[in-house]
Parts: sequence; C-alpha cells; structure tokens
Amino acid sequence: MVKGGILLKGGIKMPTLELKVERLERLVGKKLNIKDLEYDLQWIGLDLESIDEKENKIKVEYSPNRPDFSSPEGIVRTLKGYYELELGAPTYKVNPGSLEINVDPIVNKVRPYIVGGIIRDIDLDEDEVATLMNIQEDLHWALGRDRKKVAIGVHDLDKIVPPYLYTAIKPDSCKFRALQLERFELTLAEILEEHPKGIKYAHILEGKEVFPIIFDKNKEVISFPPIINGILTMVTDDTKNLFIDITGTDFRAINYTLNILSTTLADMGAKIESVKVNYNEDGRQIITPDLNLIKWIVSKKYINDYIGVNLSETEMIKCFQKVRFNAKPSKEKGMVDIWVPAYRVDIMHAVDFVEECAIGYGYFNLPTTTREGCIGEFHPFQELCNLIRKIMIGAQNLEVVNFMLTNSERHYNFMKREYVLKDHIQILNPKSKELDTTRTQLLPGLMENLLYNRSEEKPIKIFEVGEIIELDLSTETGARQELHLAAVTYHENSNFTEIRSLLDHLTISLGINEKIKVMPTTSPTYIEGRVGKISYNSESIGIIGEINPEVILNFNLEFPIAALEMDINKFLGKQLI
Amino acid sequence: MGIKLKQNVLEILKILQEKDIECDASELAKELKLDYIVLMSAVNDLDKGNLGGFKEKYLDYLYLTDEGLNYLKKGLPSRQLINYLVKNKIKEISIADLKDKSELTDKSFYRAIQNLRRNKWIATSKATGENKVFLVADDFPNTELEVFLKTFEKKPFYDKSKLSKEEVGLIEILNKRNLIRREKRTQRLIFLTPEGKKIDVRKIEILKEVSKITSEMLISGEWKTINLKPFNVSISGPRIHAGKIHPLINIINEIREIFLSMGFTEIKGPIVESAFFNFDALFQPQDHPAREMQDTFYLNNPKQSKLPERERVEAVKATHENGGDCGSIGWGYDWSYDIAKKVVLRTHTTATTCRRLAQFYRENEKPPVKVFSIDKVFRNERLDHSHLAEFMQIEGIVIDENVTLCDLRGLLTEFYRKMGFPKIITRPSFFPYTEPSLEIAVHSEKLGEWLELGGSGIFRPEVTYPWGIKDPTRVLAWGLGLERLAMLKYGREDIRDLYRNPLKWLREVSY
Repeated sequence: MVKGGILLKGGIKMPTLELKVERLERLVGKKLNIKDLEYDLQWIGLDLESIDEKENKIKVEYSPNRPDFSSPEGIVRTLKGYYELELGAPTYKVNPGSLEINVDPIVNKVRPYIVGGIIRDIDLDEDEVATLMNIQEDLHWALGRDRKKVAIGVHDLDKIVPPYLYTAIKPDSCKFRALQLERFELTLAEILEEHPKGIKYAHILEGKEVFPIIFDKNKEVISFPPIINGILTMVTDDTKNLFIDITGTDFRAINYTLNILSTTLADMGAKIESVKVNYNEDGRQIITPDLNLIKWIVSKKYINDYIGVNLSETEMIKCFQKVRFNAKPSKEKGMVDIWVPAYRVDIMHAVDFVEECAIGYGYFNLPTTTREGCIGEFHPFQELCNLIRKIMIGAQNLEVVNFMLTNSERHYNFMKREYVLKDHIQILNPKSKELDTTRTQLLPGLMENLLYNRSEEKPIKIFEVGEIIELDLSTETGARQELHLAAVTYHENSNFTEIRSLLDHLTISLGINEKIKVMPTTSPTYIEGRVGKISYNSESIGIIGEINPEVILNFNLEFPIAALEMDINKFLGKQLI
Repeated sequence: MGIKLKQNVLEILKILQEKDIECDASELAKELKLDYIVLMSAVNDLDKGNLGGFKEKYLDYLYLTDEGLNYLKKGLPSRQLINYLVKNKIKEISIADLKDKSELTDKSFYRAIQNLRRNKWIATSKATGENKVFLVADDFPNTELEVFLKTFEKKPFYDKSKLSKEEVGLIEILNKRNLIRREKRTQRLIFLTPEGKKIDVRKIEILKEVSKITSEMLISGEWKTINLKPFNVSISGPRIHAGKIHPLINIINEIREIFLSMGFTEIKGPIVESAFFNFDALFQPQDHPAREMQDTFYLNNPKQSKLPERERVEAVKATHENGGDCGSIGWGYDWSYDIAKKVVLRTHTTATTCRRLAQFYRENEKPPVKVFSIDKVFRNERLDHSHLAEFMQIEGIVIDENVTLCDLRGLLTEFYRKMGFPKIITRPSFFPYTEPSLEIAVHSEKLGEWLELGGSGIFRPEVTYPWGIKDPTRVLAWGLGLERLAMLKYGREDIRDLYRNPLKWLREVSY
C-alpha cells in the first residue's frame, strides 16, 4: 500500500466492508444515489475503496477503532444521523432473562472472563447471515486480537439446558464432538493437534495446564473457547433462538464485543434477552449485555476551543445527536451532558467528543485559520550534505540514492571485507531473506549501481551522500548513525590520480584542505600500494584508492574503478545521532 | 568537375572511401579525435555536394533484467535446484521440502521442476503417498540456454538486428520468462552516395576555409580576412554527462524550502529506535497488530534499548494502564517494560517527532515550536512495483497554545498549496495517536483525480501529557509519503525505479 496516508496510519491494515446500495436503502428508509453515497460516506469517516455502479455496490474501509462499523446495520445508524432522519442514540430493549452462567475461579489460570446474551426470534435472510459471519470475523480481529483477547461462540439456545458452567479442565479429561470434525470424539489436547481450528489457535493455550470449557447442566460440552464449539449447539436453518458466549482476557473488550453483536442482531429484527453471570470467586453477579448508555460531562468551551469555532449550546447538542449520541444541557455550568451508546468502543477521553462534534458539524463546514510565529532553520547536517552535493556535481559526478537495508554477503564478502555477525545490526524477522542488515558503507551500493548500469556510456562517475548505521551499545538504542560520502569512477582509464583530484577539489572547496592528509595503508577492497587512509585533523575518516580486481569481478564489472569513502560527520564536529 | 571541398571534409571523405561501410557518427568522431559537431558539419558539406550524408537508425538492444542478472549469478531455477540436490547429496525429497529450501517463487519453482523432468534429470512420483522428487541422472551438463545466458557475462547486451537464428530462439525463451528487457537507441550512420564512393579525391580542389579562430589570428588581425566556415546550428550536440542531483533529493530540498518558508525547523532522530518511542509513547497498546513482527523490522542485535528517565516512563505506563493524569480511561492492561525496550527500525518519523516532545519537556521550552523531518522509515515488506521496505516520510508538527482544528486545516491548506495542490479536502479519519484525525485528499491536475496524500491530526492528550504538554497547549501534526509524490512528479510507475539509479533516467531527468 503506497498511500499518502500510510504515514499516520502507522502500518495499520484497514478492514473493508462491501455495501449493497439496495440494502442500505432498505435500512435507511430512503432512496439513495450511489454517487451521493460515495460523497457522503467520507464525512462520517469511511474511506471509499471502490465503487461498482453496475452492481450498485460500494466497498469501504473503516477504521479499526470503529468495530461497530463492521456491518451495514452499524453504518446505517450513523448515516441516519448524517441525513438527520434519526437523531440521538438508538434505543435497544434488553428483556430480563433468567439463564445463568456460573464461573469457576479456576478459569483465572487460563481465560478469566465470560459474558453472554440471548437473542430470540431470529429470522435472517441470506445477506444477514453473511453479515453475521463477517462481523464475527472482524470482531475477532479488531477487538479480539485473533481470538487471543476475545473469542465469540454462537449457539442454538434450545439445544442446551441451563445453568451453564464456565470452567477449566485438564487437556485430556474430557472428550466431545467438535464442529467441522464431527465424526470423532476428541479430547481437548487432541483437538489442538488434529482439528484445523485447533492447529490454528493452539498457540493461545500454549503452556497452560488447564483449558477453558463451557458445559451445560447435563455436562454436555457447549464450547471449548477460544478454539471451537461442540456439535451439540450447531446453528441451523431451523434455529430460532441464539445463545452467545464471549470469553477472553479483557473484561472491557468482551463486553464491547457482545454489545456490538447483540445491537446488530437487534437491528436485524431479533430480541435481546439478558444473562446472569455469577463469578463464584467473589459472589459478584453481572447481567449482560449491558446496553445502558454511558454518561460523560464535557466542557462546551473545551470543545469549541479545540475545534476553533464558537458553537451555541443548541448547535453543539445537534452535532452530537447527528453522530447518534444523546446530549442535553448539563446542570453543571458551561458543561454538556453526553450519553454514548454501549457499542462505541472508541470513547476514552473528552477529546474524543471534540472529533465527534466536528464530524457532526461537518469537516467541510470548518473554517481555515492561520497563525503566525517561529523562524525556521535547516538541520546543519542536511546543509552540509547539500554543500557537498553542489561541489560533487560541479566536478561532473552524478548523484545516486541507495537503500540502507542490505544483505551481509554482498555488503561484506563481495567487497572482501571481513565481518563478525555480532558486531553488526541484525534484523530478526525480514520478509525477504535478502535484507538481513543495514549498511555500514556506501561503496557496496555504488558497486551495485555500476553493475546495473554497466552498459551505459562511460565514463560513469557517481557519488552518494547518506547515512550508515554502526552498532554502538553505548547509545540509548544501541546504534549510531554516521554521515558518509562515497564516490566511484568507472571507465577504461580510471585511476588513483583521478579520484585523488576529486578529493582535493572537495577539500579545497570546503576550505579544509590543509587539515586533510592521505597516508599509505592496506585494505582488501583496494589494490595494495594504491590505497590511502584519509585523515582529518589526524583522525582517520576514510579511505581512497583503486578497487581490487577481485572485487570488480565479484560485481561482474569490466573496467578499473577508483573510489573514495569517508565519514563527513567530523567536518561539523558533532555526532549526527 | 570542379568540386571544391574544405581540407577536413576531404580528409573525412578519404577515410569513408577507405572504410567503404556505413559508420556510426559518434564512434567515428571518437576514432578521428574530432569534435562531433565538426564531423557532422563536414557530413553536411558532403551532403550539399551530393557525395554523402547521414541517416538515423533505431536500434533495439537486449539486456538482462534484474531477475536475469540474478540467474546469471545464481544459475537458472532448475540449475539452482539441481545444485542444491547435488551439493547436499539428496537423492529423493518431497516437493514441499524442496520448495521450502529453494528461494524461488511458486511459478519459477514449478516451471523448473517441469524442465528438470523434461531433461530426464529428475522424476516425480506420488507412489509413497507424498509427492516426491527423485534424482535420476548422474551428470547435468549445461543446457544450450545456460550456455547462452553465460555469454551475457562477457557481453552486456545483444543488438536485436544482429542476432543469429539460434540466438533469436534463445532470446525468445528468456524473454518469455521476463529475463530480457529491451532498450531503444538512436544511431546516426554516415554513408557515401555512389558518386561519393567513386569520386577521385586527388582531383578535388581544396577550399580554403577556416573552422575555428585561433589565438594567433586574433592577435595578428588575420581574423578580418579569413573565410570562416558556417556551422549547421540546427543539429543538436552530443549529450553531456554532467553531474546532477538525484530526483528524490531534488524534491526533498523543494519540500524543505516550503517548511522553512512556513517557519519550521528541521530535526533528525535515530533510525534504530526503541519500541518505547516508536509505539508506546504514541499510545499504541502493546498488543496492537501494527506492532507485530509481520509489519515491523525487529532487531536481533542490538536486542534491547535503554528507556528514558524513570518518571516519564512511569507516566507513559500510567496512560496505557489507566489514563494517567490526562483524563483518559487508558487501555486497561498491564504495561510491560520489556516490550517497550525492544529495538526496531523506526516505522514512522512520528517516533522522531515524539522525541522532540520529550526534548520540549526536558529543556522546559515555551511554545510555539514548529519542526519538521523528511527521513527514512522501514516496513517489513517484500519489494514489488508498489511496495518498498524502506521509504521517506515527510512530517511536520506545531506545538502551540490554543491551536485548533481550524488552524490545522489552515496550515494544511497553505502547505499543500505551496506543494502545488491548490485544491484539497480534509475529511475524518483515524490514527491511533491523534484525535481529531483527518485525511488529506488533493486534486491532481495531471491525473484529473483526487488522491489521498497524507494524514493529520492533533496528538491525543495520552501522547502529550506524559511530556508535560497540557491543554490548552496542543500539538498539530501531519505527514505524507515522499515516494508517491516523486512518482507523480517524475511520471514513474515502478516505485523501485526511484532507488535503482538507472543512469539513463538520472542523466536525462527534468526536475
């Protein structure tokens, strides 16, 4: 994904959702034009991925902090507010139920939390069934961290007998028939080894001495979370009532998951009924799903100041109602009372209301203002780089820019340089095995450039000014960046004199010629007797010479090469980073 | 006949008669040590006398592609497999294992297997229940194709018009596997007309004409009497291969100037970065998918970084666990020091801007502060025409009292206008460390469409409070990728071109 937005998206993959316009129309309750929708959806925070006018479908990306957008029903809630067809928080009725889940404290050893809910009178069409599958997958990913944090089980309520018991047992102490591998009774340990889902998610239970399990009153296995359900509660076309269990390691996340799932099913026409969860350890009973709105009290001035507008109380309340929050003037002076629906997982701080208010107001309605202040400065190292570039191109050298990631064999062996793995940056997990370290010299990159361009017209004179990375365990992050300059000349008559003239031209232009000395040295990369050590104020900063024919041949090249490489940090007298 | 020619034209005519073939103009100029312009001007004289002239010819040169060069070094896929088997003395192996051991793509692997079977070097069988490969030959001589491929070591390219029949066939096979790339070149060929070929040069009278003014002529005054030969001014000169700035550096410098003109100061930060600054200090929970191995380069060496001053680390820890002192509810989990100490190649320059917030705190600075960075970031990706594992990010932040979302919109409008995009849209978006967040779409005149070109927002209080930056002081931030902009500006379609340094492009690029 080479998106401009990749920067702040921080490498986060955005989930996508396909929307049939017809279904949206039915849910919104008004005629929608696909072109208008394309325009409108961006203002509620949905990113258009593609539009199919023939099939009348739109594919959108939604942000991972809005898992309530994982279904058309969820999107329509907000869209209705945008169109001002419904304002304020949607209401959901939860009928009190009597079903109980008892929680055995032993689950603290493996997967401490469970909540549940009952959904009655379901009557789903094909699209809705697909949505239900899709939403589970998205929730497992977005809130569940691939089932580690949250796992969902959906069951046929009428096939099991309450109360249920959430407990944990030894991996081989119980056998049951699991979905998708129905012919055999397997122990939990066997499921992890043989069942496709078991193999996929076994890592979540690695090293645990007991595994979580849900039994019904008759000790029948309802589910082996977070792996697989028992065959007993399989949902079929005839299923009328559902029991949903959500288990996990994060109490907040499992509740959010249940809330999103049950409100979406309610939007599909089903009825929600609560379940009692008894935590036997401390005698605490909780009733879920808890769809009560969550109340926040936020300062109006804070919101106006943050956005840079001056909305009246009425205007502000309307903005919140449009994003489907309830809002009312507060008893507290200067404040507004806001109630957030239980499916909104992304409200953590008063600042989150700033964005909601701005979305309700419409980003497109916001003015643009400018502020004065500050005098800018360039970084001295970039200035040095640019000065050196000017000098180098004046001497007819063409600039190249190479990657910093590289391959140790090419970077060292090809150059006849010795290297010890432990003295260099090592990447733990590269996707392409070619990239296992970062460069410590620019010269190997220039050699690769010559190879790539070896049939181009000669002479080829190229240079690079760039950073290299040295391992340095004395620093905060264990490495040190240095700024290098390297240049090569490649043609029939390349020789030491030519590259020495270039060095002189450079140091004279920089005004440091009298501080530079070149003394004989040896280096396997270069030809014995035609290589010198460059020093600046008697400190060694680089090397200059004719490249060893073996190295030339390693890169499949066919003319002599003269080269120089030096650390130019020192010219500024301080460490880059 | 009374034909008169200048001395040098006569010389060139003699040479061409001796050669009796068409000559490449730049080769000939080099051979005669003549200025290209002088040579072409002489040819022009021959043309006028109907004795010769030049024609342009378009040549197809055939080179190996990167993949081709790779095979030149490592051997064709089938050879790589055979080498592996022979080297490790393997007589039989399952196809899946062999596939794992090879570094080949699916396509080249299975084609190689097919070829090896056709050569009767291996056999495959499912007899044992598993799909297996058996080595059946003892000797694996180089194939015709391999022999041909080797010739590229000595000779970097073939001229398409000069291929033998066999070579055409072999080139065709290589081309099908995308191992050959073509490059067109223009060649100027100098020729003689039939008259030019048979004319007796001894009978040609020499026209006294001077091609250049010498120092003596200037001093002696002779320049007033000489007959100075006219030049054909319409012919282009030969190409100069001058030094040039790399296109990416050029665009980076343009953007740096924009930032400077808007009062921003340039900053740099470490590429080898702690997970603490890359993720934790930006309020990304430790189990966040963006932190996983498949997206981020973690380092094996160095393995651990040092965390900053204890009280600041505790402040960041508290925001994750319970919101700390910033009014947030936090993520509600146990924050781990060890995960924060891991070392990564920075995945965004926001790690560097976050370090600037830390500096703001340590040096007890007063707002406003406006800084920018244009620097390298890394993502664990496989390279292809639209993905790089390292690329440049452009990022700016403003730390100021009472700055607003409207100020941010104003800032973006100005920045993108200076970048050449007078029409922009800012719409709601999401980033883990900004709230409100927005995304910028610009209208490209060149493509006639809207492009996503950057993300932006105000840093969350959870990010700024640990560094003492508290309401009403806020931090505006925005950023975008450089390469996409460069591809748009320079009309490149393969993102890798920006770092491959093809001299053809670098020498002729228009900035």
